[in-house]
Amino acid sequence: MSEARVPSQPATPPDPQPARRRHKWTMVVDLDRCTGCQACVVACQAENNIPLNTEAIYLQYRVIEWIRIERYWEKHGEEVRARYIPLLCQQCDNAPCEPVCPVYATYHNVEGLNVQVYNRCVGTRYCANNCPYHARFFNFWQPVWPSTLENQLNPDVTVRWRGIMEKCTFCIQRIRRAQREAAQEGRSLQDGDVVPACVQACPTDALSFGDILDPNSRVSRLAKDKRAYTVLKELGTGPNVIYLAKVDPYAPAPKKHDHH
Amino acid sequence: MGLGKRIRIVFLLGGGMGASLLGLAFLVLVAPRVVAHYSWSVERLFRQAPAQPIAFSHKTHAGDAQIPCLFCHRGAAVEEAAGIPSLQECMFCHRLIVGTTEAQQAEIRKVIEAFGKERPVQWVRVFRLPDHARFVHEAHIRAGFTCADCHGAVETMREVRQVHRSLKMGDCVGCHRQHGAPTDCATCHY
Amino acid sequence: MEITRRDLLKLAGVGLLGAIAFQGCRIPERELRVESPVALPEDLVTGRDNWYATLCQQCGAGCGILVRVMEGRAKKVEGNPDHPLNRGKTCARGQAAVQALYHPDRLATPLLRGQPVDWEAAVAELASQIRQNRGRVFLATNPLRGHVAAVAQAFVQSAGGTLMAYEPLEDTVLRAAVKRLSGQDVLPDYDIANARTVFSFGAGWLETWGSPVRWSWAYGVFRQGRPGERGMFIHADPRFSLTAANADLWLPVRPGAEGVLALAVAYVLIEQGMASRDAADRLTAGRGLAALAAYQPEVVAARVGVPPQRIREAATLFGARRPSVAMVGGSALAHTNGLFTAMAVLSLNALVDSVGRDGGVRFNPPPPLGLPSIPAAPFARWRQALEEMRAGRVGLLIVRGANLSYGLPAEAAEALPGVPFRVFIGPIADDTAQGCDLLLPEADPLEAWGTDAPEPGPGFATLTFQQPVVRPFRQGMSFGDVLLEAGRAAGLTLPWANMQEAVRDGARRLFALGRGSVRAGDEAAFFTGVLQRGGWWDTQERGQGTLRPEPAPATPPAPRFAGEEGEFPFHLIPFTPLGIYDGRGAPLPWLQGLPDGTTTVAWQTWVEIHPAQAEPLGIREGDWVEVISPRGSIRALAYLHPAIPQGVVAVPVGFGHVGMGRWAHRRGSNVFSILAPLTDTETGALAWAATRVRLRRLGQRQRVPKFEGVVLPLQLEERPIIPVVKEA
Repeated sequence: MSEARVPSQPATPPDPQPARRRHKWTMVVDLDRCTGCQACVVACQAENNIPLNTEAIYLQYRVIEWIRIERYWEKHGEEVRARYIPLLCQQCDNAPCEPVCPVYATYHNVEGLNVQVYNRCVGTRYCANNCPYHARFFNFWQPVWPSTLENQLNPDVTVRWRGIMEKCTFCIQRIRRAQREAAQEGRSLQDGDVVPACVQACPTDALSFGDILDPNSRVSRLAKDKRAYTVLKELGTGPNVIYLAKVDPYAPAPKKHDHH
Repeated sequence: MGLGKRIRIVFLLGGGMGASLLGLAFLVLVAPRVVAHYSWSVERLFRQAPAQPIAFSHKTHAGDAQIPCLFCHRGAAVEEAAGIPSLQECMFCHRLIVGTTEAQQAEIRKVIEAFGKERPVQWVRVFRLPDHARFVHEAHIRAGFTCADCHGAVETMREVRQVHRSLKMGDCVGCHRQHGAPTDCATCHY
Repeated sequence: MEITRRDLLKLAGVGLLGAIAFQGCRIPERELRVESPVALPEDLVTGRDNWYATLCQQCGAGCGILVRVMEGRAKKVEGNPDHPLNRGKTCARGQAAVQALYHPDRLATPLLRGQPVDWEAAVAELASQIRQNRGRVFLATNPLRGHVAAVAQAFVQSAGGTLMAYEPLEDTVLRAAVKRLSGQDVLPDYDIANARTVFSFGAGWLETWGSPVRWSWAYGVFRQGRPGERGMFIHADPRFSLTAANADLWLPVRPGAEGVLALAVAYVLIEQGMASRDAADRLTAGRGLAALAAYQPEVVAARVGVPPQRIREAATLFGARRPSVAMVGGSALAHTNGLFTAMAVLSLNALVDSVGRDGGVRFNPPPPLGLPSIPAAPFARWRQALEEMRAGRVGLLIVRGANLSYGLPAEAAEALPGVPFRVFIGPIADDTAQGCDLLLPEADPLEAWGTDAPEPGPGFATLTFQQPVVRPFRQGMSFGDVLLEAGRAAGLTLPWANMQEAVRDGARRLFALGRGSVRAGDEAAFFTGVLQRGGWWDTQERGQGTLRPEPAPATPPAPRFAGEEGEFPFHLIPFTPLGIYDGRGAPLPWLQGLPDGTTTVAWQTWVEIHPAQAEPLGIREGDWVEVISPRGSIRALAYLHPAIPQGVVAVPVGFGHVGMGRWAHRRGSNVFSILAPLTDTETGALAWAATRVRLRRLGQRQRVPKFEGVVLPLQLEERPIIPVVKEA
């Protein structure tokens, strides 16, 4: 999606604005800090109007969790270990979901986000099919909240209808709000201004979020950690979620991994 | 072929063509109007100024009394929604100002009664964007636009009507392109 | 083209249908309206959020939270970054607090004998009952702190009667151990953020035990928050819990043998000369290592279920990598020898000299303003109390937050009908409310005034302030307000008229102290400041204390179990799931729908069993299984757990309610109903891990509602997505 070309003189001169800097939103997940407590999962559900995952939906394998904790078993002989990894939309630079949408409902924007435009989506589900991280979730059913629970819904986030694809947006509503507030105050965004719901809730600070183009941001520093890696790197999707490897002083050399 | 048969054929053909013309006419002329009537009737309604529960006149308040827009629609300078003023705000003045003419007094009595009975007033919305489009008033005020740029000369309107702009997406995108504002989908649709 | 009559009718029909269908595309009615609110404060703008600081009451920890309120509706809970306990963090349960506020099954009006009445009549009835039953009032609550505890105490003192707190998984044993070794009746804090080694026994401190948000925050620092220093975490647990899953070293200790394991560790510490002389002398009564001969690792290995070299390894880490801290709780103390275990583990801290130091055990000062703390009374005392009720010696029972019919189902069913008038105060009718004469809708914590001195606290004096963030959603009244209003109507002498006054008074008295985190010119500004910050704390007012080990018994007290091993081959370990906790989270769909930490099961009671033990019983995943104890049986869905030790099965608590709303009512099974009433020999606390069970396939099967399998696994043997490195 191309940006607007440089315009001619505006009709009314705008207020002097701070220099708009490019951002590239990045999340860092430290697997050595993550305990698998799922505070992030509930925080995301509360913030983003995620439909209720009832027992019926569990039995249909149609649970929607924009951020999920995957638990893998690792067996070493008699010993079994559990490994936890939070997985969410990786906002890939080279996203496999983007080119396949027949109505162009998903695209990559200049901030590095993979944007899902709900009102364009017609529900072909090709994008979810293509996503190697299984980060996309489809509303097979019309989300229903018993009327009183509707009071809790976040007005900053669109409530999706049946037949619409959804996924983690890096809490774009919080990004926009922070950008607005910074512009109102006449300053540029600082590291720590934008905090997605999951990052804010995480008790162990396993999740960090920020602008990797800002050399002083926390994510820039963490991205240089020697434990840093990206998931399914060999697919060349260019994810913007960086993981820091789990540390286990007792890890035996060759590991036998089991499907979960 | 006998004459009778030919006449029957002609009648059938003519009838068939007539019927098909009727069908086509229906499809081309009537159905779109039926569709238009239902889906865009609201737009036409807005252009004609819908009837409001209280005959509030912007001409009187914003025009003659010169009350600035932001005095009542406080949100426009700080938030997404401009906001409709609360009845409490109306009562600031109208606990004293009861109106001069019969008509005025009747309308002002409606406000006082609603406030007294703690019943919110349900206005008919004139400027409306669908749920899937987010519009942030504050960003546009900050960019230097005035209320009239989109809403027209409201201070001249006895009844508010949408005449100045269509407020459809093309309208928004065009203005954004013209003024160098982002045309990223995620600016308004997220 | 030829058009038949049929075609024409079809076309007309399609056109008409099209018109009707397009009508469905009309703009919905509600979008054509916009309303003027009646009143809107100057600082409130539509679409702008306001944040209010208050207290989270979704568990006993008492974290400080900020609630986002938009147009009078609470939308989101976040941690209060100023609050010293949780430092801006929350857990899954805290995040779900807004669902409790807007729960559709909240009681709408008071109910008197099943009939809706207004509050005036309800309070009058309660007042009348109080007057009639002076001296015979029984107030059963959850553990209370802060001003509401003071109100409850004053109420019972004036009315004459008993106040007892109930918690199904009580902390009685730990408190008793701390009392024995330190003389203080307070739960300590553990400075995990500064420790180099953490050794926990049974305590699910990364899940729901103690102060999980605080210690999870500390864990993050412990692991990767100190450059060049990564903490080592050892956990001993008979079950592979989420906490065990995060340990570097998990010791699958046999149920009830945790105390012996702890003393085996002590043995190694003393043997290797790593122990503090003074503490070692106390532990061995001055007789040196010989006094602990029974606890030599090689001797106890079989009994404890951990190989001797592992015990030695753990002990060496604990002794050498200091500061090190030892914690104990959960199922480790839920045995008949619980107190012995608690004292043994706490003594380890004394041995490595970590009491009262950074990275060790920290004592908290007593609550500010002399506010009382009412911990849970032991199970044995509750059985006595229920017996008194059965005998008709209680005239008026007021229950709030104490689900007696759930935790002691058999005893309560027999005893409660012996009380002539029962009152239930709560947001949603629970198991105990069934059969109560008067049901009073309680205000949600987000709608109520109060204070709290968190325990365990952050190591210094803290008083969190709780304020209403929204107007009452249902016609609820807070517990404190009910007691004060009904009490006054009954002629009782009570210190305040309502909870708001109580809180205000508390602020006034804190202001008079002239110290702490909030400074202001006058009392009104001070109160505003305290409400804005979320509380008051004084980092200078710290706790003091020490742990003096008692001499270890020459032979360890063996745990007793209910059920013979032959007939009941498995140890049953109940545990608190991440969301549902001890049942508190059962009404909330977000928490019911939260996958369990290790199994990812949700919405149903499951039983964790090792695959090698399930096979001979013919049990596969999804089989409905009967879990039979000497006391009774429940049904659960089988889940084959690769990491649970053999000989142990685990079942989550919190399910099997009657009432508690649509998402909890009659869902799953209540594990408490099959627990044998064994208690810790010294404190009388319920030994809830001391029941043995056997399993029997019921023949029915179903798919297990669980999260694993919803998404195809990304991790493959040839291409792992979670690389593991050995060094930080």
